[in-house]
Amino acid sequence: MATDINAPVDNSDPPAASGYPGGGYAVSTDNSSRRKLYSRLFYLLCVLISGLSVVVLGVLLVSIGWQGHSRLTWDLLQNSHSELNPESSGMWPSIIGSVFICGICAASALPLGIGTAIFLEEFKPASKPLRMLHSFIQLNISNLAGVPSIVYGLLGLSLFVFMFNVFGRIQVNESSGTELFGVSHYYQVLSLAGGGHTVLIPQEDESQKTIKIDEPTQAVSRDGETFELAIWDPASGQPKPSDPEVRKRTVRKGQGGGAYSETEWYYLRLPFGKSFLAAGLTLSLVILPIVIIASQEALRGVAPSLREASFGLGSTKWQTVRHVSLPAAMPGIMTGAILAMGRAIGEAAPILVVLGAAVAKNSGPQNLMDNVVTMPVLIFNWAGRQQAAYQELAAAAIIVLLAVLLLMNSAAIYLRQKMRVG
Amino acid sequence: MKALNANISTMSEVSRSATPQSDSPAQAEVTPEVCIRIANFNAWYGSFQAIHNLSLDVPRNQVTAFIGPSGCGKSTLLRWINRMNDIVPSANSRGTLMIDELDVLAQTTDVVNLRRRVGMVFQKPNPFPKSIYDNVAFGPKLHLYLSRAELDELVEWSLRKAAVWDEVKDRLHAPALGLSGGQQQRLCIARAIAVGPEVLLMDEPCSALDPASTLAIEDLIYELREQYTIVMVTHNMQQASRCSDRTAFFFEGKLVESGPTQDVFTKPQEKRTDDYVRGRFG
Amino acid sequence: MVALLALCALMTIGITVGIIVMLIGESWNFIQSKYVSLSGFLTGTEWTALQSKDIEKAEFGIWPLLSGTLRVTVIAMCIALPCGLITAIFLSEFASSRVRAILKPTLEVIAGIPTVVLGYFAVLVVSPSLQFFSGGGFDTFNATSAGIAVGILCLPMVSSLSEDALHAVPRALREGAYGLGCTPFETAVKVVVPGALSGIISAFLLAFSRAIGETMVVALAAGTRATFTADPREQSQTMTGFIVEMIKSENEYGTVQYFSLYAVAMTLFVITFGMTLVGQLIRRRYQEVYS
Repeated sequence: MATDINAPVDNSDPPAASGYPGGGYAVSTDNSSRRKLYSRLFYLLCVLISGLSVVVLGVLLVSIGWQGHSRLTWDLLQNSHSELNPESSGMWPSIIGSVFICGICAASALPLGIGTAIFLEEFKPASKPLRMLHSFIQLNISNLAGVPSIVYGLLGLSLFVFMFNVFGRIQVNESSGTELFGVSHYYQVLSLAGGGHTVLIPQEDESQKTIKIDEPTQAVSRDGETFELAIWDPASGQPKPSDPEVRKRTVRKGQGGGAYSETEWYYLRLPFGKSFLAAGLTLSLVILPIVIIASQEALRGVAPSLREASFGLGSTKWQTVRHVSLPAAMPGIMTGAILAMGRAIGEAAPILVVLGAAVAKNSGPQNLMDNVVTMPVLIFNWAGRQQAAYQELAAAAIIVLLAVLLLMNSAAIYLRQKMRVG
Repeated sequence: MKALNANISTMSEVSRSATPQSDSPAQAEVTPEVCIRIANFNAWYGSFQAIHNLSLDVPRNQVTAFIGPSGCGKSTLLRWINRMNDIVPSANSRGTLMIDELDVLAQTTDVVNLRRRVGMVFQKPNPFPKSIYDNVAFGPKLHLYLSRAELDELVEWSLRKAAVWDEVKDRLHAPALGLSGGQQQRLCIARAIAVGPEVLLMDEPCSALDPASTLAIEDLIYELREQYTIVMVTHNMQQASRCSDRTAFFFEGKLVESGPTQDVFTKPQEKRTDDYVRGRFG
Repeated sequence: MVALLALCALMTIGITVGIIVMLIGESWNFIQSKYVSLSGFLTGTEWTALQSKDIEKAEFGIWPLLSGTLRVTVIAMCIALPCGLITAIFLSEFASSRVRAILKPTLEVIAGIPTVVLGYFAVLVVSPSLQFFSGGGFDTFNATSAGIAVGILCLPMVSSLSEDALHAVPRALREGAYGLGCTPFETAVKVVVPGALSGIISAFLLAFSRAIGETMVVALAAGTRATFTADPREQSQTMTGFIVEMIKSENEYGTVQYFSLYAVAMTLFVITFGMTLVGQLIRRRYQEVYS
């Protein structure tokens, strides 16, 4: 065998004596330089393609920044959407809407998700059928994570918005489903005071949408004070009361009134209709698998020795979970939760399905059953319009959305760092 | 190997004269011919120096055992002989490490061909998750252009050589991970010799095996030395005494003592060697 | 307390059951309609649910929507699978810790970008670039630009799942390969990737199902014409794209068009759920066990 293996190998020297059958061929092939060239080319390809993702992210951020920076004003943050005047359109209601929806989403998905994770990680069953159920639940959760979010939107539509029509259907001016609490129904009737002053008469039969006042009845003032409503009949020849206070408590005979509802913030009805409560719950379905999987990983990361130490001190299973596993896994769980909330804030499709594509709302939600606009839906709406102004607004709104996400992710990274230190 | 030895004998005259210390009573009739020459060798991981100024000659067609307590640098040295430490980013070395006339540490040395010439067997059996046949054929397919029949022949030869043919000949296309630990390790030896190396490096080849498999591997090692120069790292004193011709004792990155195995174990020159082989530490 | 936790866990099965019941129930309403037949839905090559003013003339054949979805998905996969896998190989085999420190957060940021933003990016940058380089050969809204954006969206998922799988391959196998004289390329491609194959295939399937179910990008960038074609330059309404358009059109509950929504969603669900399931099963069944 040649002494310098870099040089082409001498053909005349097969190590036949060793019995090595590859010997005869081995000396005739020196392919290592070609193979090393391939390796180098592959490395280059890896660098190029990996670099591509950095470039794509750069292009994306720069192009959106360039398109949207001119619209990044206080107007954008303070105003609401305007069909007629894109120049002064803003996204304030959508910011509030996103916050409310994410609040609902967090309040429902986090306890449920963390609870499921604890059950799956800490209470592993021993018997065979239960183990199978356990493994089935696990498989099911992985599958739920792969279900498109728009399908969750449709589930939310059936489950929360319509509730499979079990409680009746909500139709504008016809039916408002089964109302539980937080709402009072009145007829609104013009009083004699003029200037649009009205009194409220409690509704007794909700199917009756209008009323005609012919005789004195119980009424409620705007301050919530109950009083006897007087009637003034012009045909009777009596003079119209002159005292403004009396006028406020008197209506003309035969005066008609329409239905009017007053709602508290905790107004609740079934089905939920196109409300931010329904949207928040739908989103919680979307992020539930993410929360579960992240929490499971965090719990799995807790050293078994910690648990054993706790058991060794005579703790019960539940005490161990409550005082050892859960606190140790908390930073990981919180990191996962924040990342899941980031996903929820950016999610548009399910909200679009549940709440519809309308963006005309000009304030935050007034009660649990109120419709809202969210940032991604507003961006979708603006980005789908032809006018350049809306296109730029969409880019500016994206910058705001990305800033919010950046903030949340920084919080997650901060937690992760803190976890490493602790 | 005869042809190979004849070819090399001219140049090994030089190295033989440079290493006069290798004479020993056990092999008095033949002065071992040096295959791997290590001189003034230093190695680092980052800023930690794992090997200090080490010089050692490894003779051809013998089994040389590296012994010593954990962290003494024996594995590090072994992994430098085929430049395995190239894949450890922080690893670094300086000094002379020659296999015959090949300067192993030189930048220009082709590690692909070097590793083909210097095979390696690892601590834990590490067959690829492929069939038994594909495991053995893997190396030859990289380096050689062989017909199907030639490849079959080579695979059989290697498996026979590694004393595992009889156990696997009926299931060559079964997954290698289905074999027992000892069989897997012999398969790994077959895989290593299938590319036709001259030197075999073995890094604690039996530490993950049961006693019966260990004996089988030791027998195999003893037979293989007729054709290969074998360097073996081991923690097991009995193993070193059973199947090695020469033993080198390492301590804290330095070579304490080396010589014929019998000498090292029965009349060590250094007190530390004596303590170690008697099991006082390590 | 444990019972409460068990209830939480069972709730997740409830969600799956809820989805299936809801989809089957509402799709049943669709099939029952006298304007629709199941065979027409499954084999028809025309979809005019929203274009036809007259319900009598509306065609409900799923294939145009399926072909739209497939066009976008195939383009997305052509980008996400090779690039994602190569990025994963780079991260797990070659990248120094400094490069990792740049690349990993970049991929995480891309993974965290809301899909509506990528849809906007497709309309703002990708589509005009395509038109520019092709000399106007592309529609304003087309399958390719949507596919590229969906590909960008799936890339971090492919790379992070594949990287996890590659990481699970023991170091001993890499050393074994290097010890036989493999180049880094050969080690990666002939030993490490085959050793992680089940994880990689499962990652591919998950990405595929993610691309099929992707909504906002196609709603913004793929257009609203459902055509049964393979031309990637044309508009291509996807299944999800149709669902969004349907929602935007505010059709009343109870109309055939409204129920068609659920039939489309059912098709979408069956495909994505099937792929995810197969992916999970492959990972569980064929996961290479390294002792």
